[in-house]
Amino acid sequence: MKYARIYFEDVEVGAEMPSLVKGPIQQIQLTRYAGASGDFNPIHQDDGFAKAAGMGGIFAHGMLSMGFVAQSVTDWTGVGTVRKIGVRFAALVRPGDIVTCRGKAVAKRPAKDSQEENLVDLEVWAENQKGEKVVTGKATVALNSRA
Amino acid sequence: MPIQINKDIVGKEYPPFVVHVERGKIKEFARAIGDLSPLYLDDAVGRASEWGDIVAPPTFPIVFREDGGTMLQDLGVDISRILHGEQEFEHRKPIRPGETYLCRSKVVDIYEKTGRSGPMAFVVRETTATDGDNEVVAVMRSVTVVRL
Repeated sequence: MKYARIYFEDVEVGAEMPSLVKGPIQQIQLTRYAGASGDFNPIHQDDGFAKAAGMGGIFAHGMLSMGFVAQSVTDWTGVGTVRKIGVRFAALVRPGDIVTCRGKAVAKRPAKDSQEENLVDLEVWAENQKGEKVVTGKATVALNSRA
Repeated sequence: MPIQINKDIVGKEYPPFVVHVERGKIKEFARAIGDLSPLYLDDAVGRASEWGDIVAPPTFPIVFREDGGTMLQDLGVDISRILHGEQEFEHRKPIRPGETYLCRSKVVDIYEKTGRSGPMAFVVRETTATDGDNEVVAVMRSVTVVRL
């Protein structure tokens, strides 16, 4: 299923996305993400800096968690299907945390003509090991029709 | 005493900047997230795909930045005060290795609210990436939270 694409007809409103479990988050992953993304804010790397900033210690880039959420979507619907994804960073993710990404289909918008795509709107979120939501958001994917 | 930020930058457009998407950067980014899809990582799989090459993951355009911390300087805030509040990506065309995109970034709104942890400012920035055909490839909206 992992690299499959699903068809528009395969998704029903209310259908749950398979969950994606990431972590435990390691400090080295934050360093790696900093290098890959170009976000070198020391608040994600330097515990002393993060404490002095009043954050109680380092925490993960919100964008790393958003990357996990986007992966949970593409693992289900396929690479290249995401037309829109938007999230709010609701709580901090700390080293050691386990992040579970979930979602469900909330609406289907069939193409009205050959110029349009079949769209599915998803509600997406990620939660930590305590069940607290760390990311909440929405995504829209374009899916091919079987026809 | 909460700090003051410079709200005059609402509407400010930053000078356009060019990004060149390197194949290795796409792979490095996918691996940093731990997303090991061969459509991001394997050139042969990419070549055989509908796009004829690997593509970038949905959150990849976050690397389209021309930093130096210009916006923070304009706001008059230190990096230790900022948090990422929200982020949105709109994708109109796949982002491909070897392509060059022109990015334009603009501050579209600044508003203040008081939350559980005190007064905060929300800075909304929109960045649009266009390709060589002058077609919009991606639009990004980010909300930066400043702890005042």
